[in-house]
Amino acid sequence: MGGKGLRFPKPRRIILYVLLIVFVFLFLLPLWTDFTTSFKNIHDIIYTVPVELPLSPTIEPLITAFNLMERPLLNSLTFTVVAMILSCLLGSINGYILTKIKFRGSNTVFLLFSIGIFIPYQAVLVPLVLTISQLGLYNTLGGLILTHTAYGITITTLLFRNFYGLLPDSLIMAAKVDGAGTWTIYRRIILPLSLLPFVVAAVFQFTSIWNDFLFGVVLARGSEAMPASVALANLKGTTAFNYNVQMAGALWYALPVLIIYLVLGKYLIRGYMAGAIKG
Amino acid sequence: MVNITTKNLTKKYGNTIAVKDLNLQIKDKEFFVFLGPSGCGKTTTLFAIAGLIKIDAGEIWIGDELVSSAEKGIHKAPQERGIAMVFQDYAIYPHMTVFDNMAFPLTISKVKKDEIEARVKKTAELLGISHLLNRKPRQLSGGQRQRVALGRAMVRRPKVFLMDEPLANLDAKLRVQTRTELKKLQLDIGVTTIYVTHDQVEAMTMADRIMVQKDGVTEQIGTPDELYNHPSNLFVAGFLGSPEMNFINCTLVEDEKRLCLDAKEFKIFLPAKMPSELKNYIGAEVIMGIRPEDLYESKSARGPAQENAVRVTLDLVEPVGPYLLLHSKAGKIPLVATVKDTKAKMGQEVIMEMTPDKIHIFDKKTTKSII
Repeated sequence: MGGKGLRFPKPRRIILYVLLIVFVFLFLLPLWTDFTTSFKNIHDIIYTVPVELPLSPTIEPLITAFNLMERPLLNSLTFTVVAMILSCLLGSINGYILTKIKFRGSNTVFLLFSIGIFIPYQAVLVPLVLTISQLGLYNTLGGLILTHTAYGITITTLLFRNFYGLLPDSLIMAAKVDGAGTWTIYRRIILPLSLLPFVVAAVFQFTSIWNDFLFGVVLARGSEAMPASVALANLKGTTAFNYNVQMAGALWYALPVLIIYLVLGKYLIRGYMAGAIKG
Repeated sequence: MVNITTKNLTKKYGNTIAVKDLNLQIKDKEFFVFLGPSGCGKTTTLFAIAGLIKIDAGEIWIGDELVSSAEKGIHKAPQERGIAMVFQDYAIYPHMTVFDNMAFPLTISKVKKDEIEARVKKTAELLGISHLLNRKPRQLSGGQRQRVALGRAMVRRPKVFLMDEPLANLDAKLRVQTRTELKKLQLDIGVTTIYVTHDQVEAMTMADRIMVQKDGVTEQIGTPDELYNHPSNLFVAGFLGSPEMNFINCTLVEDEKRLCLDAKEFKIFLPAKMPSELKNYIGAEVIMGIRPEDLYESKSARGPAQENAVRVTLDLVEPVGPYLLLHSKAGKIPLVATVKDTKAKMGQEVIMEMTPDKIHIFDKKTTKSII
């Protein structure tokens, strides 16, 4: 035991920490397996247990996977970022209008948006494909961007509406008295105060668009616009034991989201906990 | 000449009438107060004059301009009315510095940069916030934020100042201090001002004239003195003055050719000179009103038998500092008196007298003042 500040932790604390460590372990195990398997050659795959480190590590699987997924990764990055930006911007504008510019029927409009969140992807597949192909956007990045933006607006509108609802109305009224019009108020008052909801919405959108498989496989499979999620699925079935290439592919696939969470995680937590804006 | 006039101003929210048929004339350079309890329509009236809400009937004139007319479909935007507003929560932009906050209305109007700087600096100096120009709102105290809000309004050199309970969020001491400063400022600048509050002390100390509202209806308009000493109805009489005026149910009777108020527990004889309308109420139930400061401990040795004496039992003595509040009961009728000092103790019986020409009488049914 140390000096005055050190006390032996209560048993409840110890149990809590032990439990947490166990859960951390369980959650990280797949990632660890992913990591180790990506560096194994075929021999190691057969002769080692998945959680073991490779006997003769190699970056072959990573290179192979990358070569197979290079274009799809670029595609995913492109349409995810664009759709994320668009859906966040539009959600922000919608949230602003719905909370600060009260027009007749605004509650009904919001209700319709909210219902949109719950529409399962599968339910709209057939009309979606028909519409996208009629627009000439089948098998294109544009089609994916359009789809993901449209789908994302429902949740981003909800998010921004909840956030802007906490902004005092007097702020908008003061700006009106100062002479600002609707768009000026948006640009100079609302937007600068929206960093937190933008981060939350952006991370949420990035993750859900990046992870989407269904829309990708239905709208752009086997084309130049193929998303990374589909390409990853395609890695299966080339040879019987190429777990290492599949794992490497998964690692490449997980990388961008991992980076985003590491960089923006702090803002995300702040955003979740954000109550009213003060001062 | 910036006077403000409303004609038959009405505003409804669904089935609720927030402001009913308001006819108001505010004079140039006047400090005019809208006074009333929450929900009485004072803020709604303010916002209507500001142009932040549209009206359902009537007209609003600022100076010579018709700025709102329900019948003619006219509604000028707030920035075209030459008004500036200070909100209850100040509504200063949290992401901008104090300077940018105060400059905002000028930048929107596309005023030149050097003029903006000059005006902002001058106003900041006037309000004593020059040293805060580069700070953000979250670094300021409540009082400082309020000055920024005020500065933002003043910088525009408006024709009219509209203030919505600007002192409500300040602590008691600061409130009294700022009250005086605001009043002095308004006198210096000489701008027609409308000030909304539910605090009758603020209204009494600051206003040139006050309008008391209740449930959308105007109860009385007048100077503080008029409202305090000659309230036109029960509500105004009870709203102004702290502690509240004592109200006693009684009957007006004629006793040997003299009018007196019979409250069963005691009788108060009225002075000889009374308005003739009072005679119509003989035999009717009325409400007598007497302010706590007009009740005092009887000094004469005549005792309880004299006229206009009320025998009360002292329930509680509250020391306020400069005076004492005596809570007492005449039988079941509660009476509160403000006195400088007393030797009486709680539970004791005391004889109270009232100043006869300070007695108010209200019609029980209409609640209107008779005298």
